[in-house]
Amino acid sequence: MRRSQISGGSQVLRYWAERWQGVVLSLVVVVATLWLGLSGQLGLYIHPRYFVFTIAMALVGLVLVSAGFARRRHFAVERTGRVETTLTGVGVVLLLVMGVAMVVVPPTTLTSATATQREVNSGGLGTDDDAEQAAALIGTGDFEQLSVREWVSLLAQSSDPAFYSDKTAQVTGFVTPDSNDPENVFYVARFVVTCCAVDAQPIGVPVYLPGWQDEYEVDDWVQVTGRFDLNASAAASDALAITPVEILPVDQPNDPYVY
Amino acid sequence: MVLAVFVVRALSPAFVDEQLSGFSLPDRVQDTLTLAISVIIESVPFVFLGILLSAVVQVWLPHGVLARHLPRNPVLRRASISLLGMFFPVCECGNVPLARGFMVGGFTVSESITFLLAAPILNPITIITTHQAFGWDGHILVARLLGGFLIANVVGWLFSKHPDPQSLLTTKFAAACAVGSTSGHDAQEHSHEHARESRFSRTTEIFIRETSVIMPALFIGSAVAALTQVFVPRSVLLALGSNPVWSVLAMMALAFIVAVCSNVDAFFVLSFGSTFLPGGIVAFLVFGALIDVKMLALMRTTFTSRTLVQITVVVGLMSAALGLLVNYAA
Repeated sequence: MRRSQISGGSQVLRYWAERWQGVVLSLVVVVATLWLGLSGQLGLYIHPRYFVFTIAMALVGLVLVSAGFARRRHFAVERTGRVETTLTGVGVVLLLVMGVAMVVVPPTTLTSATATQREVNSGGLGTDDDAEQAAALIGTGDFEQLSVREWVSLLAQSSDPAFYSDKTAQVTGFVTPDSNDPENVFYVARFVVTCCAVDAQPIGVPVYLPGWQDEYEVDDWVQVTGRFDLNASAAASDALAITPVEILPVDQPNDPYVY
Repeated sequence: MVLAVFVVRALSPAFVDEQLSGFSLPDRVQDTLTLAISVIIESVPFVFLGILLSAVVQVWLPHGVLARHLPRNPVLRRASISLLGMFFPVCECGNVPLARGFMVGGFTVSESITFLLAAPILNPITIITTHQAFGWDGHILVARLLGGFLIANVVGWLFSKHPDPQSLLTTKFAAACAVGSTSGHDAQEHSHEHARESRFSRTTEIFIRETSVIMPALFIGSAVAALTQVFVPRSVLLALGSNPVWSVLAMMALAFIVAVCSNVDAFFVLSFGSTFLPGGIVAFLVFGALIDVKMLALMRTTFTSRTLVQITVVVGLMSAALGLLVNYAA
């Protein structure tokens, strides 16, 4: 009696794992993808150059998933042992949790936890294109057009304070502390994404403002205006930092990442 | 069912609004989730494409037609197979279902391994993106293509010497292959049974069976990749960039945990070009395209753990050797 119950249960589990698991997980991904596409939030996860391909394959996936659900033919599964059943059970629960999270938890950007972990400005900067673009914008004299990314590539090339003395920067990003001097310096940071969020590299412009934590929280989005000066913090990672004239809290932009 | 999931998504909160809901996940949990989802959303289109192409090979092309038109000589045969990726540009996640389809369709185990290791690098998308990122600088593109070709063929050759290739496969997948390649009376009966079923219906069955194996592996692989990223400090690796030996090993470790698709990894690694020596970049581009946490989870659907360890060791050693060669010789 007991034995047949176990084997009956394990057969149900196995049937679920082989017949439905793939289709249901595919459905979850297809729905999540299409919904992100429709609500304009796909950019939180992948680079815009994949939007068309991803949406197209999600639609193809929708057709296959629907066919998978509609299929009425007999579906054979093998009998399995106890250990394998336990493993399948654990796997199914784990996957369902991930699947539910994917559909229910609101999509969001990466946070400062990842920015700190990956170290601001440790990669993702200094490509020739950025520097060229920054140089071109410098030529126009409209320095407030320069983004975080362009200032970062300029700072990587020159830390001569004289070069920056007549240039006012206006940059928007999220607040993340300088790991070497979190009391006095924070970064106005952005993530650079080349493929999907998993490769996001944090970049940021340092701002010198002792006691900034009293007014701003980590991960707040701000627009900082000011000029670059020698960094008054001895411990900080960067030679120069913005001395802020004005810091405005702003909403997170629709495209929080830079590409 | 399909509608129901759409409704759930539509009713769930669209944006994080802490004042409104008073609820938010801790940052690290949230980031792990974001990273895992981004890998899944990035990879799934390629997985679907791979499954479709695999269905084309199994259902729509005459049985064994690909296997018949390749050269007989094993070395030349594997060499041509390593170029098949030029016609099936699905990136490494999609290659797994495709390689499974090839094996069901009559390829030997070592031939499929060759395909699996060569196709992520020797395909038009990877070549174009690597060229866009690096041009002809520092021989990175050439080293990547030659290195990928060489590694795939050496590993394929090594496994072709295996006395019992079926033992390299998981028992479940070996059984599925045996069904696919039954000969004589059984095969006839098999094809009769199949003839009664439309091709679209068989494609659907392949989709159900492949997704039931590949999707869980992808979910688990992505979760592991995301967890590693959130909890292993990357600065440890980046400190090693300018040493000719360590830069190679550090970049291979980075490739292993980052698990970026081969057709875009060139853009990713470009940003490390100023920190790391070219040999490190080449090792990243060769090793990372073939082996990473997500790929191992995917390949485990088909190969035994022992086989995967062997493949990883050989590919790792050869990638490291290639990286060192570039650092010291070029």
